[in-house]
Amino acid sequence: MKTIVLLSEANDPISGRPHLSRLEAQAIGLAANLDKTPQGLHVGPSEEGASAALGHGLSGLDVVETSVGEDPLPAIAGFLKNALNGNEPPALFLCGRRGEGGLETGIVPYLLAEALDLPILADAVAIRPGEVQGTLVVDQAMAKGARRRVTVRLPVIATVHALAPPPQPFAYGRMRRGELRRHRADMIPAAATSAESTTPVVGSHEERPHRARPKLMRTSGTSAGSHNLHVGPEPDEAARLILAYLEENGIRRYGND
Amino acid sequence: MSRIRKDPRAERATKTVAEAGRRPRLNLGRREAGPASGRPRRDPWREWAASLAGETVIGPERKRYDRSQRQMNRADAARFARARPGLDATDISPGQPALRVVDEPAFVVFAVLEAAGGRLSRFDRQVLGAARLLADAGDGGGAVVAIMPESVEGLGEAGADRVFAMPEAATPAIRAATLRGAVDELCPRHVLFAEDGDSADIARRLAASVGEPLFADVEHLTARQAVRAIRSGRAEIGLAPPRLMSIGEDRAKPYEAVPCEARPLETSAPSRLDDPAILSVEIIPGDPAKLALSETDFVVSAGNGVSDFAAFRDLAAAMKGTPGASRVVCDAGLMPRQAQVGASGTVLAADCYLALGISGAPQHLQGIAGCEHVIAVNTDLHAAMIERAGLAIVQDAQLVMPALQKLLQERET
Repeated sequence: MKTIVLLSEANDPISGRPHLSRLEAQAIGLAANLDKTPQGLHVGPSEEGASAALGHGLSGLDVVETSVGEDPLPAIAGFLKNALNGNEPPALFLCGRRGEGGLETGIVPYLLAEALDLPILADAVAIRPGEVQGTLVVDQAMAKGARRRVTVRLPVIATVHALAPPPQPFAYGRMRRGELRRHRADMIPAAATSAESTTPVVGSHEERPHRARPKLMRTSGTSAGSHNLHVGPEPDEAARLILAYLEENGIRRYGND
Repeated sequence: MSRIRKDPRAERATKTVAEAGRRPRLNLGRREAGPASGRPRRDPWREWAASLAGETVIGPERKRYDRSQRQMNRADAARFARARPGLDATDISPGQPALRVVDEPAFVVFAVLEAAGGRLSRFDRQVLGAARLLADAGDGGGAVVAIMPESVEGLGEAGADRVFAMPEAATPAIRAATLRGAVDELCPRHVLFAEDGDSADIARRLAASVGEPLFADVEHLTARQAVRAIRSGRAEIGLAPPRLMSIGEDRAKPYEAVPCEARPLETSAPSRLDDPAILSVEIIPGDPAKLALSETDFVVSAGNGVSDFAAFRDLAAAMKGTPGASRVVCDAGLMPRQAQVGASGTVLAADCYLALGISGAPQHLQGIAGCEHVIAVNTDLHAAMIERAGLAIVQDAQLVMPALQKLLQERET
């Protein structure tokens, strides 16, 4: 199944230099399980960070060069639309769940899904082909270690969660062997998108240095009361009280149901 | 200042006790409730009286106070009043109405809740608190509409004026489509989400579908300004609260004043939508034994009062909890170091903590400060853990463990 990994313009959170986002490196790992030759797509002014993706297991990378500060969404949508209409269309598009070093809203995959009219699944941690041809089984990460296993019809867009398997190690030779294809932005027909949505703000806003704000203190909601103090009950009675308390407060439910 | 001034002479007059044949004396301990100013104020004296957790039964009389300095909310006050009929702890904030009603809202604010398992989580309460803040902003008169997939108790206390139950839907795509219908119908001024799990997913789906920007992961929210970090926390942007926002965890205060009415909203019943791309959905619950202590929701923990650790591990597995331990036990090598709970181990984010034979050193109590429900089993009535616990059992943990195991096995069959 042909897979395309979307690579964002990411900056290292410590040094601020362009690098490959870890989520996207994990996405390449997931794609390599499905596709022998996973492809990448990067739209932006430079491919300095994204080209490292070839070293993590991509076999080819398409780079569409745009000017600094330009919205990449029309170019991404246009490129993918071309690919979907061509022969051997891609079946799966993988992205990281949030960007790094930019506005970090995580909305680009959703706008892309809207523009391409494809279903989108969030927070994938494992992906494998379904039993029926043209389907895919995606495990989504949920709170408290739970997973949601969704069978979905292809083609689909999926965002990758940080709990996905760690990325393949970087190999310099693999990066040199990978094929880098450059395209000019004006050669790609821009798809109609609701492009203003990529920016998280309406009108003007000022950007200022970040100020750390303390989070709320976590305190417990309930207090002790004498009615809940049991001095020297029989062990069986104590066990019954504990299970009743757990079930009353909806922590766990024990039994056959 | 809107507060009513103190009148020392009048206060002195109320404290004077006239007795026939003797000169008047002052009863300085007498505290009459002053005239209600309508302004909510704490009464530390009443809270202190209400924090009396009990007296010793055996031996010399000794009072036990719950000194954990937790703020008394209305639910707790009501609970204390029920438990101790002699003490009038109900009227913690006098001069306020019993129910807050917004009949004709000037505008509405949506709070999209997860409410997993039919219960409001801490995060859900924070989202409702943020929605309440925005509904009361400016001239006020707004109504908070809680939107969740199943019916939930206690929405009124958490600050919801109206309740809109979505049809139970398995996938976020269907929930987002239903929400889109509600947004088109009611035109809310703000729609608030939790920046977590499915809520974050639905927020982005809605933003993409209505074509409006999403102000994601808000760090600081007031009526005038919403602030979020960008560029990996190097910079931030702040602007007047936009329409679509998702709130970060532990960033907004939950609502803790007069209960709202939580009236079901009369709208056209949303039609059942379906998602043609999704073929099947299956939820696989997490295995608590494999989870890290910081991620789990229920910890079963052992201290010095437990000697049979094989039985303890079996019990933790049978109770579907993650095993934890106190520092003493980990130092002795009876449990692995990563199971240690407390200041030098893991600080928990769990909902419930079952402490077997743990007395509750301050460093250990720091580790469980965020746990909503604590159950303590300990032989010492005066242990700090017994004071902290919502259910305290003064009994040997070594005797309670086999009884629990037996009871669980009976339930299984």
